[in-house]
Amino acid sequence: MRLLAALIALLITFPAWADCPLDLGRGTGIVIFSSHYLIAFRPEPLRIEVGEPFSLLFNVCTKNDKPAELVAIDAQMPEHKHGMNYRPTIVSLGDGRYRVDGMVFHMPGTWELAIDVRAGEESERLSHELVVK
Amino acid sequence: MALAASAVAQTPLQWSEDEVRAIARHGPWPPTAPRDPSNRVAGVPNAIALGEHLFNEPRLSADGSMSCATCHVAGRDWGDGRARAVGRAELDRRTPSLWNVGYAHWFGWDGAGDSLWSQSIRPILDPREMAGDAGRVAGLLREDKALACGYERAFGHKPEGDDEKLLVDAAKALAAFQATLISPRTPFDAFRDAVVAGDREAMARYPLAAQRGLKIFIDANCSACHFGPRFTNGEFGDVGIPFFTRPGEVDSGRLDGLGKLANSTFNLLGKYNDDASGANALRTRHVQRLHSNFGEFRVPSLRQWGSGPFMHNGHLATLEDVVKHYSEVSPDRLHNDAIPLVRPLTLSAEQSTDLVAFLRTLSVDVPSRPAPPPLCP
Repeated sequence: MRLLAALIALLITFPAWADCPLDLGRGTGIVIFSSHYLIAFRPEPLRIEVGEPFSLLFNVCTKNDKPAELVAIDAQMPEHKHGMNYRPTIVSLGDGRYRVDGMVFHMPGTWELAIDVRAGEESERLSHELVVK
Repeated sequence: MALAASAVAQTPLQWSEDEVRAIARHGPWPPTAPRDPSNRVAGVPNAIALGEHLFNEPRLSADGSMSCATCHVAGRDWGDGRARAVGRAELDRRTPSLWNVGYAHWFGWDGAGDSLWSQSIRPILDPREMAGDAGRVAGLLREDKALACGYERAFGHKPEGDDEKLLVDAAKALAAFQATLISPRTPFDAFRDAVVAGDREAMARYPLAAQRGLKIFIDANCSACHFGPRFTNGEFGDVGIPFFTRPGEVDSGRLDGLGKLANSTFNLLGKYNDDASGANALRTRHVQRLHSNFGEFRVPSLRQWGSGPFMHNGHLATLEDVVKHYSEVSPDRLHNDAIPLVRPLTLSAEQSTDLVAFLRTLSVDVPSRPAPPPLCP
């Protein structure tokens, strides 16, 4: 419900994003945005378990009508400055939708996702923290 | 020797919500029995029986003198009590325990194995260990009446195919057996379950020294690596143990292990993975080889410690030495620019004693194991 309210607020603020397909299934997800991009994503399975592989499902949208590309994704624990032991792969599902496989958070704590997106010649890194217990 | 739960009830310590959560994560024990999808005979009773016989079979070795059980001794927590393993020559690393090995994802101190069956092949073929070969193993399965009968019962057909295939089948039977080595419940597990249930009467039976030691364990963030019910996240780390093996030579650990993994015929990306979907090869497919892997070794489980020595090369003789290492480790050795995961804990003598007391509650004495029944009467 909170996600839906947040999405509605965003779509009112940025009408161009009203066409952005943010439905990731399962009725939940995380939305992050900048002045140029809106990204919705969720883990699959929904609960990230320490040491267990998981995927991330993404929808990447731009403020204008250009298609957006998920270029790269990585994660590190900012407190300890170490990253994942695994390199994820990005699979394009079309229409700005992506699936990222091979994510593993091998320790509990705070992980910072680094999400590199691009539209045309413009690229940007957005980040988001996930806490794994 | 395990520290027995106190017969006299004491007032348990108070535990915060975060501490209760941390304790709860170290169970429940035991977890569901592992079943490796890459091994089509995992969990098959006849394969387990064959595997136990092969585990004790010295004819797998070149000169008929060594079996898996020579180093992985049941009565020594499936290790051998040596600082470094001794095969046909002294090796660079300690014989690891096989307790709970079926739950792991990486095998060997360097993680060069990505399945228990592929790891089981390594010592058979290593010239410094059993110095066997595929032909010898295959010949045994074909020509020894009992083993051939055991094979047929396990796999559903007579031993057939080339030598390498039969070597892999033998390894899968060995893995099926090893996956049954699940350690018993410990005094810690009883305490953990009591904490989760909020049963303060049961909690009070856990020794106070162990409770204090558990608080130190949680506060020091040992669970970052020694995570979950097995007290290991199954990954790798450098905790400041010297990695020189002899003058001028180093053991690069995980770095070298990843190279061996990539070049192995028997990894999960190869033809011997029985999981046609390949889903269980995801870690192998995505694992990165990083410079920081140099000198990293697999985080061992803290269950069934055994009597030592400890660390990948037996560098530390006793549990007290292990705690002293973590109390005094040099931060300069660990090259960390952020908040280090391993840092000198600067424990007092009493705190060190308490931490050892807690660690001892993760082990129990295990009855001796009877000899397996004959494969085929």
